Amino acid sequence: MSDRITGLLIAALAIWYAWHANSFDQGFGDPVGPAAFPQLVAIPLGLFAFYLILRPDPDPHWPSGHPLLRQCGMLLVLLGYPLLLEPLGFPLSTALGIMIMAWLLGAGLRAGLVSAITISLALFVIFDQLLGLHLPMLPENFS
Amino acid sequence: MEILGFLAQGLGVALTPTNFMLAVFGCIAGTVVGALPGLGPVNGVAILIPLAFTLGLEPASAIILLACVYYGCMYGGRISSIMLNIPGDEPAMMTCLDGHPMARKGKASEALAISAIASFVGATLATIGLTLFAPMLVKIAIHFGPAEYFALYILAFATIGGVTGANPAKTLMAAAFGLALGTVGLDPVSGTARYTFGVFHLFDGFHPIVAIVGLFAISEILVYLEQQHSTAGPMVPVHRAYAKFSEIAATFGAMLRGSLVGFVSGVLPGAGASLGSFLAYALEKKVSNRDKTFGTGDPRGVAAPEAGNNAAAGGALIPMLSLGVPGSGTTAVLLALLISLNITPGPLLFQKQPDVVWGLIASLYIANVVLLLLNVPLVGFFTRLLALPMWLLLPAVVMISFVGVYSINHSTFDLFVMVGFGVLGYLMRKLDIPIVPIVLGLLLGTEMENNYRRALSISGGDASILIESPIALTLYGATTVALLIAVFTALRARRRAQQRKNLSHTDTQP
Repeated sequence: MSDRITGLLIAALAIWYAWHANSFDQGFGDPVGPAAFPQLVAIPLGLFAFYLILRPDPDPHWPSGHPLLRQCGMLLVLLGYPLLLEPLGFPLSTALGIMIMAWLLGAGLRAGLVSAITISLALFVIFDQLLGLHLPMLPENFS
Repeated sequence: MEILGFLAQGLGVALTPTNFMLAVFGCIAGTVVGALPGLGPVNGVAILIPLAFTLGLEPASAIILLACVYYGCMYGGRISSIMLNIPGDEPAMMTCLDGHPMARKGKASEALAISAIASFVGATLATIGLTLFAPMLVKIAIHFGPAEYFALYILAFATIGGVTGANPAKTLMAAAFGLALGTVGLDPVSGTARYTFGVFHLFDGFHPIVAIVGLFAISEILVYLEQQHSTAGPMVPVHRAYAKFSEIAATFGAMLRGSLVGFVSGVLPGAGASLGSFLAYALEKKVSNRDKTFGTGDPRGVAAPEAGNNAAAGGALIPMLSLGVPGSGTTAVLLALLISLNITPGPLLFQKQPDVVWGLIASLYIANVVLLLLNVPLVGFFTRLLALPMWLLLPAVVMISFVGVYSINHSTFDLFVMVGFGVLGYLMRKLDIPIVPIVLGLLLGTEMENNYRRALSISGGDASILIESPIALTLYGATTVALLIAVFTALRARRRAQQRKNLSHTDTQP
């Protein structure tokens, strides 16, 4: 079933991908144009997707319960971090991210806190101070 | 003997203080990454690529650093195979079979010593092979025109992962999907924006390194959270690797055979180190398993796959450097690095930038010696690393990935793209769709399209130019053979799985 759904999604993507290529402006003096290659690629993409719909493999074991919750939590951290990086500054947002991740991976709160502070400061010193990569340092409204 | 001259020139590049230090650092970092279970060579190289960027290294230095990480991973993978029976990376899987039984018999230090020496033999022989054969392949590749390159790329996509037994339809679909992702951005010829939805961040397309770090490193964490491995089992303390000379000498034949098999499977596109170690073990078992000692801690069963996977790692560099077509996942990542540094591998690289190529090759010889020295007396340090808890390690890996990716463009948009690719990589792993073809499509897509368009503009739009030359026809022939083999193996695997199912079904019947 999972393979069938994947196949359907990819087949739809292939059709849209080839159709959308028609809207590209044809360049002058270029016999091939920007649309030819995408349309060439769309053919195998669509065909193999259809094959997947017809002959799917057995379903994988999808996560549920606690593992799924942990994964969703991790995803929230991963998506939240880029949002907070510039407003909060590197050291603070990184420490926060590491702490939640360590907790999701089964560390105790104190161990997580210690590792969060150590790792985030170490990374900041290595990348910003030693390697000269300019990371956002302080919370935005602060400086 | 011009090769010796080039090699001397390369040694000059490799032995500059900066490059030598980077090589040593790469060896250490690679061994650590390889030794830690779960972080394979692709992840190791992918995570350290951003580091090469932030250091602002010269192209030669950057590739030396990462190639040493690559070699180091191959050495390190065996450590946790032997000590914990968990392969440190995928190619080290075969080393578990006899390595861990040896350790349980109290011969951990012998197993570590023999496998380190086998790694050295395999990697050194492969590096010699690389020195000899890469220039020869270049001489052939110089005759390639756009149509031949187009055919070569088709061959690369047809063979990548083809022999690993994954569903060929999924592999090829992934390759096409990667090519499709590669067309996102401004078309280099006409300047038309393709599939960007007006998002200006996408005008340059997906940065291959952002995609790679997401696909491998981020998806790894999602997989880990799902499985939540049990913590490491009891471990015998080992301080240094040591074995009697007679014990090592007894495995010498196994090392040589393993190296040869590994090297050949490394050079073949799409096979890579996992297949190399698998075939090396299978061959050695056929040759020397007279007393049925394999699987119970036979030193030859440790030597052969280790020599095999290291030889394959070196062999895989040949097509990557001389044709610009990687033979494995990790070399695909190295190719991404070269492309990001504005270096196009291929025959011209050997002519225009010999310092990069020969500096790299020379530093691989140095790396081998350094790795042997690191892995024999200092192995105790690396075994102690195995006790590091994952909650300490994985967040640090994520953060290094974030910093590295952020440093490429200083944009948080790239971080979202990376996480997106991470989720994509996780879903693909669950569905058994190989990831490497996507990376390859993303990497080679632009060049493939350029060659396609160049060929057609030479012929004025007549597509028959693509199948005119004998070289192109040979390549298409090889593609067909590779596809047939892949379909055949997949069918056989499916039938075997079916049989096993039937068997267990009849077993449960009263």
